[in-house]
Amino acid sequence: PGPFRPSRRDQPDPSASERELHEGGEYRAVAVGEPSPEFAGNAVRTAKYSALTFLPRNLFEQFRRLSYVYFLAITVLNQLPQVAVFGRGASVLPLAFVLFVTAVKDAYEDIRRHRSDRRENNRLAAVLAPQTAGEYLPKKWKHIRVGDVVRVASNETLPADMVLLATSDPTGLAHVQTVNLDGETNLKTRYAKQETQLSFSHDGHVAGMLHCERPNRNIYGFQANLEIDGKRVSLGPSNIVLRGCELKNTTWAIGVVVYAGKETKVMLNNSGPPSKRSRLETQLNRETVILSIMLIGMCITASVLAGIWLLNHQRELEFTQFFREKDYTTGKNYNYYGIGMQIFVTFLMAVIVYQVIIPISLYISMELVRLGQAYFMGADNDLYDESSRSRFQCRALNINEDLGQIKYVFSDKTGTLTENKMEFMCASIHGVDYSSGKPACGSSVVVDDLLWTPKMAVRTDPQLLKLLNNDSSNEEAKLVLEFFLALAACNTIVPLVLDTRDPKQKLIDYQGESPDEQALAYAAASYGIVLVERTSGYVVIDVLGDRQRFDILGLHEFDSDRKRMSVIVGCPDKTVKLYVKGADSSMFGIINKSLELDNVRATEAHLHKYSSLGLRTLVVGMRELSQPEFEEWQLAYEKASTAVLGRGNLLRSIAANVECNIHILGASGIEDKLQDGVPEAIESLRQAGMKVWILTGDKQETAISIGYSCKLLTNDMTQIVINNNSKESCKRSLEEALARTKEHRVASSIGSPYPVLASESSGTVLALIVDGNSLVYILETELQEELFKVATECSVVLCCRVAPLQKAGIVALIKNRTDDMTLAIGDGANDVSMIQMADVGVGINGQEGGQAVMASDFSMGQFRFLVPLLLVHGHWNYQRMGYMILYNFYKNATFVLVLFWYVLYTSFTLTTAITEWSSLLYTVLYTSLPTIVVGILDKDLSKSTLLAYPKLYGSGQRNEKYNLNLFVLNMLEALWQSLVVFYIPYFAYRQSTIGMSSLGDLWALASVIVVNMQLAMDIIRWNWIIHVFVWGTIAATVICLFVIDSIWVLPGYGAIYHIMGQGLFWLLLLIIVVTAMVPHFAIKAFSEHFVPSDIQIGREIEKFEALNQVLSVDSYYQ
Amino acid sequence: MSVSGSESAASANKPKYSKFTQQELPACKPLLTPGIVIGAFSLIGIIFVPIGLASLSASQEIVELIDRYDEECVTASDKIGFIQDSKANKACTRKITVPKPMKGPIHVYYQLENFYQNHRRYVQSRSDQQLRDKDYKDPKAVAKACDPEATTGDGSLIVPCGLIAWSLFNDTYAFSVNKKSVTVNKKDIAWASDKNSKFGSNVFPVNFQKGGLIGGGNLNDKLPLSEQEDLIVWMRTAALPTFRKLYGRIETDIMASDEITVVIQNNYNTYSFGGTKAVVLSTASWIGGKNNFIGVAYVAVGGICLLLAMGFVVLYVVKPRALGDPAYLSWNKEAAEYSH
Repeated sequence: PGPFRPSRRDQPDPSASERELHEGGEYRAVAVGEPSPEFAGNAVRTAKYSALTFLPRNLFEQFRRLSYVYFLAITVLNQLPQVAVFGRGASVLPLAFVLFVTAVKDAYEDIRRHRSDRRENNRLAAVLAPQTAGEYLPKKWKHIRVGDVVRVASNETLPADMVLLATSDPTGLAHVQTVNLDGETNLKTRYAKQETQLSFSHDGHVAGMLHCERPNRNIYGFQANLEIDGKRVSLGPSNIVLRGCELKNTTWAIGVVVYAGKETKVMLNNSGPPSKRSRLETQLNRETVILSIMLIGMCITASVLAGIWLLNHQRELEFTQFFREKDYTTGKNYNYYGIGMQIFVTFLMAVIVYQVIIPISLYISMELVRLGQAYFMGADNDLYDESSRSRFQCRALNINEDLGQIKYVFSDKTGTLTENKMEFMCASIHGVDYSSGKPACGSSVVVDDLLWTPKMAVRTDPQLLKLLNNDSSNEEAKLVLEFFLALAACNTIVPLVLDTRDPKQKLIDYQGESPDEQALAYAAASYGIVLVERTSGYVVIDVLGDRQRFDILGLHEFDSDRKRMSVIVGCPDKTVKLYVKGADSSMFGIINKSLELDNVRATEAHLHKYSSLGLRTLVVGMRELSQPEFEEWQLAYEKASTAVLGRGNLLRSIAANVECNIHILGASGIEDKLQDGVPEAIESLRQAGMKVWILTGDKQETAISIGYSCKLLTNDMTQIVINNNSKESCKRSLEEALARTKEHRVASSIGSPYPVLASESSGTVLALIVDGNSLVYILETELQEELFKVATECSVVLCCRVAPLQKAGIVALIKNRTDDMTLAIGDGANDVSMIQMADVGVGINGQEGGQAVMASDFSMGQFRFLVPLLLVHGHWNYQRMGYMILYNFYKNATFVLVLFWYVLYTSFTLTTAITEWSSLLYTVLYTSLPTIVVGILDKDLSKSTLLAYPKLYGSGQRNEKYNLNLFVLNMLEALWQSLVVFYIPYFAYRQSTIGMSSLGDLWALASVIVVNMQLAMDIIRWNWIIHVFVWGTIAATVICLFVIDSIWVLPGYGAIYHIMGQGLFWLLLLIIVVTAMVPHFAIKAFSEHFVPSDIQIGREIEKFEALNQVLSVDSYYQ
Repeated sequence: MSVSGSESAASANKPKYSKFTQQELPACKPLLTPGIVIGAFSLIGIIFVPIGLASLSASQEIVELIDRYDEECVTASDKIGFIQDSKANKACTRKITVPKPMKGPIHVYYQLENFYQNHRRYVQSRSDQQLRDKDYKDPKAVAKACDPEATTGDGSLIVPCGLIAWSLFNDTYAFSVNKKSVTVNKKDIAWASDKNSKFGSNVFPVNFQKGGLIGGGNLNDKLPLSEQEDLIVWMRTAALPTFRKLYGRIETDIMASDEITVVIQNNYNTYSFGGTKAVVLSTASWIGGKNNFIGVAYVAVGGICLLLAMGFVVLYVVKPRALGDPAYLSWNKEAAEYSH
């Protein structure tokens, strides 16, 4: 190690360092190197079922759906000989079919989970064999236990949460990538304690006793201590590496497992996939209850009337030919148990006969429709991402229609809104703006005859390049050089040297915690100041072809109070310089304004220009330290670095002391490139009535600047910032905020009945910015309610520095308090809990691994795809599914009512004129396929119309396609149509020779044609497939009726041939269909013309657009 | 499902473009424009009213004579006792005057009221297998299908079994017009399909009506079921509790004011459950039997549609709306109202 120990190592997270380890809490004791079986093993399990438990558990899961229990009860009922209505096989078939299809689907999903579990559990890790010194044997992940010492090599994934004991770096440093954990792609530095590192390098193993806190979800916190050689060493979050992270840039690292398997932080943060149920499906339960009441009502009516009939004819039953109470061979009653029992049996039989009013086929239809919709969403070219070559994927198959009802969109920022690629755009150096960047090939460095090239080249300004390369004696050029030296040195970037295919070439990859710093380092490299190497004591920088070593004498880390960082560098020319970079707000306070006012003003002007372009700005400054100044600082710095208590505060005050009188070098503008079309997408979503919230782990400034660049925030908005460190202050600011929203509402409501419009027109839209620190005190406390009130008043909400579970907490805040549908979209593992919490979770296939996608319901390549997904597919899915559910209720009710009216003429004995087979086929074949096909293919509006008028999305948000009124209307139509279907033939065939089978065939055919005509009338786009299915189904029904009536063993043999030979049959069919449809047609014609919905206007616009344009052109010429 | 497989397929991952996958199949998008609405209603009216009038006139031309005889043919006070007495003389003579000329063939029906041939106990009590297959002798299956009329007291099977066959209607009619006897053709009163396929030509009645209670008519043991047309007609159970069944046809014409005499053997017991019996003579037409309902319904529906057409004309004139005008979109309307 160099003369100056890096300060970072002994200074863990400030918040943690100030929290002293308190004794007495619940701790877990781990003996290093001694696997202890008392804690959870390292095997993970995300699968739900095993081969043995599949059948019972899956059936249990399925029968948790109330409807399945209902169908089961009906099926069981039908098995009682007294009650049996249908044949045994026939009655079991529908339920068995549904159960089977669902079980196959569940099994397939679970097998995939099993596979990934197995893959994960069987990965190998090198584990120290107990009782040996330094012998590492491969062991499967699932066999690793707490206390095992594990050796991880570079680029390997950590199998469990481990405390670092030693690493290949002599100072005990290790780099990990935490992509899978928090979504950040940069490298994080972790340290092995000096004590363990030394102990390991001495005798190759470490022995000791570790006490750590019990497993918890906090991925940023860890408290433990280690007793080693009689000393007690305290451990913090910088000493632990977590499962799922990858070791990078470190040859090996050795650690002791402290949490394994399901107790690891990453697993605890996976709250497990909750089973989601779509909104429509939940609402459908309400209608199911209504239908159940109808069903019971009908059953009671039928059974009571049957009882009354029996009572009236009690004396006659013995000799009535069609009843024959007694079996004369035995003289006993035959199948007659007294009136009371007879009523009960009739009731049960009625339940079986009328059961279809609660449509079992609906559940299969819905699954099939969703499957078809999922296929079309996946096949949509507009949802295909060329850059990542990823299609849209429907991962959850039961919430497609929820996409059409979203009101809140919660978006992650990095990687979701942005591409997660920072790019240096422009610089202002000494008051001169250099922003005319041209793409450059970047400069390379020759090291040991190898060509090292930075991985990324940024756009360079030719003027600036010329200045740097030509005359270095120039004063201006010196300043430029200093500027880029500051960019290259004043950071925590670690250059990684990567091999390329060409053995002569190497790539330099800059790794660091801040993507901004990466961008700045790449920028410096592109101008020829290449950071080549960084150790804890010095950096090597290739300055325009000349490699120089700069000693890093001290480093003052970034913190959110100072909002800047600085390094003290010992330059090759023996001077000591302080380089500072930071946010403009903090930098202008410490610069020496007296010297160069013009320079400062010009820089300020440039900064304003950059930030208005949406660039992230940083100001860079420097100061040369005199020898006494340096010595004074050095003394204080060393003292502070070794201090035990309050180290963070001490270092901060030293930094504040030395960072003064800064000479301003310039400013930089960095673009965190937004993904294509993000501002437009957000605008569309907001137009469509959705509230877009951004939840990001970034700091507040970054979040706000992104808010601006994606047009979520605008300059005319009033920002409410809640950023506090205690509960009381949070409460205060929330109250203030609430007061402001009220004021705002009063102000805007004057003179306007439309609050939304008013807030937009009056130009003072509220934007709420909440910090994660404050959320700690707000979420899950009584302050939640106030936050909710404030947030719902604001049209824009930004949450910054939020932890993964806080994201879920925010989603839950809205989800639990409103009926509004929420959607969460993210790309990193840190978004997983939010994605699972929201009603709809969307994962972005980004750079950050597959965790978010695995947890999501839908996954896609780009944020902007959200617009076609919601506005087009979501809208279609919702209107299709809503219509399909209503239609299924309607068609089954129509059929059941037809059956019911007939019962009134059979002395209430539940005979059906329609054959048993037609009754079963009615839901399965006669009427099911068209509704499924329409549910998959019909479109109310074209894609272009829906995108052109985003507000059409409001139809779903307002539940326009599925609500109680529509349900009632549909039931009334069912009532009317059943009356028509039943009574027209009834009156026509009264006192005639008509047989039961013939009339039954007419009723069946008429019902099928009527309900299919109803569908046909509501279909909006007739393409050939829909034609085939609608007309094909009617044809299939006729064929089925012919087939059934061609079976000689059935009583109806030949009936259809006979009745179709009569003119009356065709006359009746025509009048039934017309009479049944007239009200529907009239209501439709009336409402579409006189109370048109937005959708209707949209349809007309589509149809008459060309015509209207011609007309308007005509009127223009007249 | 190997990883390498999916990688090699990555380039082919892009969805193939087709009008089908992009949901852009050419489609017809019908809209209910005023023209279509008015046209549709008018068209229905124009078609339906004439059909209705034609049906009405066809129905009017049918001559139908109904004579209910169950009350008058039993003079005894204990009607049930009388009808159950096998020794009593059940003959009964009815006279009907023909109001209008009737062209042959004249259909003769018997009409029962309150007889629930569609009663659940009744309708299922039959064995179609047994009716067709002479070797169908599984007692369990027959009992299941036909109880309580499957076997005689000693356990031997009844053919045809079941309540339907057992309750066969057995009143007989003999007609004479103006004292001159007229033959009733009882051939081909049943459906040909039933005779050919449903009822076996080698199945003969066995043990029929030998039980404790006689339900109705008996059958000729020597004739196969396929030729027992009365049974075949009876076994085609009626849909509604008031029904007719074809008894036979009178092939000759009958003039107006002719007097028809019917000699009825009043055997069938409808008295125990309050049913009625009637004999019906009716001419035939394309519309079936005499029924004004269908004609009235057509005229009514046609008329309503014409009214609706006129109503919509008025509505469209009173409250016209330019189709496809974005100004009618809800948010545009709100904005317009707000700006006013």
